[in-house]
Amino acid sequence: MADSTPATSTPTMEPDVASEATIPKPFPISHIAGRYLLFDVNVISYARRTHNITGVLIGTIPNLSQQNVFLGIPLELQPEEARVLVEQGHAFIVDDAEVHRKGMMAMSREQRLKLLREMDREGMELAKAESRKAEERSTKALKEKGLTRKEKKSDESNSSAAVEGSETSLFDSKGETPTAVSVSEKKLEPVPITPTTSYPPLTTPSANAASQLPDVPKSYPLFRYLHSKGYFTMPGLRFGCHYSVYPGDTLRFHSHYLATGLDFDEEFELQDVIGGGRLANRVKKAYLIGGEVTSENDKEAEGDEIAPVRTFSIEWAAM
Amino acid sequence: MADEDEDVPNLQAPAVEDVEDNEENQEYLRTLSKLAQLSIYSGTVHNTSSLSLPKRGEKDFESHSTQLQLSTLETSRAAMHSVLSWQRTHNPKAHLLAMYHEASNMACVEKVKSSHFITIGRSWGGKEWLLPEEALFMIERGTLDCRWPILTGEEGPEEAGEAGEANKLKDCAPMSLQGAYAAFLGFEGGVGGKLTMEMWNVYAGLKRSGYVVFRHGDWDEDRAALQPLKPPTIDPNKKPALLSGFFAEIWRRISQPTHTVRAENLAFGPLIKPGLYRSYADIYRLLHLIPTHDRTTPPQFSLPSNPANPYRIHFDVWKTHGSQRFRKANRPPPDFHVCVVDARETSIPNAAQLNDLLATVPDDPPPTTSTNIFQKLKHGTRNVVLAIVDNGIPSYISLLDSPFEGEKVYDRGVRGGRGKGRGGGRGRGRGRGRGRGR
Repeated sequence: MADSTPATSTPTMEPDVASEATIPKPFPISHIAGRYLLFDVNVISYARRTHNITGVLIGTIPNLSQQNVFLGIPLELQPEEARVLVEQGHAFIVDDAEVHRKGMMAMSREQRLKLLREMDREGMELAKAESRKAEERSTKALKEKGLTRKEKKSDESNSSAAVEGSETSLFDSKGETPTAVSVSEKKLEPVPITPTTSYPPLTTPSANAASQLPDVPKSYPLFRYLHSKGYFTMPGLRFGCHYSVYPGDTLRFHSHYLATGLDFDEEFELQDVIGGGRLANRVKKAYLIGGEVTSENDKEAEGDEIAPVRTFSIEWAAM
Repeated sequence: MADEDEDVPNLQAPAVEDVEDNEENQEYLRTLSKLAQLSIYSGTVHNTSSLSLPKRGEKDFESHSTQLQLSTLETSRAAMHSVLSWQRTHNPKAHLLAMYHEASNMACVEKVKSSHFITIGRSWGGKEWLLPEEALFMIERGTLDCRWPILTGEEGPEEAGEAGEANKLKDCAPMSLQGAYAAFLGFEGGVGGKLTMEMWNVYAGLKRSGYVVFRHGDWDEDRAALQPLKPPTIDPNKKPALLSGFFAEIWRRISQPTHTVRAENLAFGPLIKPGLYRSYADIYRLLHLIPTHDRTTPPQFSLPSNPANPYRIHFDVWKTHGSQRFRKANRPPPDFHVCVVDARETSIPNAAQLNDLLATVPDDPPPTTSTNIFQKLKHGTRNVVLAIVDNGIPSYISLLDSPFEGEKVYDRGVRGGRGKGRGGGRGRGRGRGRGRGR
């Protein structure tokens, strides 16, 4: 519903095939203030489903803004995630500030009026749907109490009778009947909407071949390796590591590893192993370190641009 | 890690999964029966009662490719999708409109209609102005409808007139959530602002938790544009430590044995000369050799002012005071000072940075009435909260200056650790008054 195309406003419980088809491929990743964000709910679902990219939801959910447990759009991607998506050609980076500066700050009058008309139309749809629902609810409540609605205006009862069967057609007919305001016995005002994405007014930017790759930390090879093996990852600061690694969707599975990416020849304190191992063990996970094998021999042997990554998992031996 | 699990290190950590569940808050699980309605109703504004979050549930250890598991996952995903699809709509009766102001990257609200403004915004020129993070928060929670300004010269003839000003706002293009991020965070660098995504994460997180959050002092655009990081001024109200420190000093002089050992003599003789000692405290005092940081001197900066120094106070935070009305024009001293740190680009502060950071926090010694030594140490004289943000996930760490040298364990008299006979004997022998805590 966020992108306000009629197709996606149909509620579905199944995988949203229709909405997935509307996702541009590659899809744009908004680059704002040095971070990589996703705003389109369909893209977010798609990236999670298809590319094992979870990111971190950082936004406030409208109307439920008093809690920090479930957060909403936008989704902040780790730079590593953005990099993987871009490298594999699934996504591209868009400088959102620039796009909005050009598109919104310098919007022509015609565009603006068109947008406003569109918003009004959508707002009107919402207002109508809502008043209908209020109607339904009150009818239902009255019915439960064994009462019947007192005499209404004739057109009103017609419409509420029609509502029973036309729950879906209400949504489907969205496009064609912007002017049919038959419901309004009392005057309906269009509900003002704050859209989630800017892409109805702005045209979706096309994939820019020159879009630069996101900068990534040196733990990136490990991330890329784990991602290529089908693991899901989340930022790992809470567990004192780079990534907490999940065997599948983080919605369903506990994480298995707390991963720290290192250079292959990097020397590190033995204490880090103890600390990481103990912490990981404490939360029933395994500590995992890994890095890119950078020695010359290996590189030639592989004959590959991407150096292989070796990983080691460390568990507490219960001796 | 507690010591008690030293010998049984693994496999029996109790309730670890619970801990994890709390920390990994991304589980949208099995939906309520309401969910079906929920996704249908999701577009509507006013009946928020029908909006509810899916319940969180159990997670599996690994995939076993059963149909059940797959369908549960699918339900979770669908639930998440539907919650994320909720639209921001405004009640026409309480429609709060604002105009984006490009030069300052702020939003200007014409008519204040919401109680949020008790803890948000500032009045200027008869209008209410919202800082970027405030505007973004209001937009994101679905309270504010912000509009893009109309390009100069693009106004239609009917709008350009003097009467156009009033209804102009409704004719401006609405700002989407994405646009709001692009503007309030993305344009921020262009106006010399300092708001980063991490600060925004922390601000929004604290606001969602119900705290009152304001920027700390001088990082408003107008000053920041001139000088990137003003060395935070030392609080002029700061008293040289405490009065009690003064009395303690006198008391120390009275009570201490006069025959102290001079520094140059330490090399040749015993620290404690043979003599008559009536308490261990006197002996401990003689053993006190290593100088400690003097908290009574006014704090000083040890580093030159540097805009690149990430350690500075960003937010003042108040607990919500229930019925007590918060006045933003006349704010009480904040309950917390928050410094926002990007986990990915910042390393642990060094001593100089810490000193400078703590020097910008008001001196807040523990109440003198407090007798619990551990409470005092935990309170610290100055404290600051570090909000460490790793890719949108903040962790809060409290950092405090603990006055260890002020809390002499031997002066306090640790009870309970002593044998009976000894304790009694000492008490009588001293006869020095109650304050000694013998």
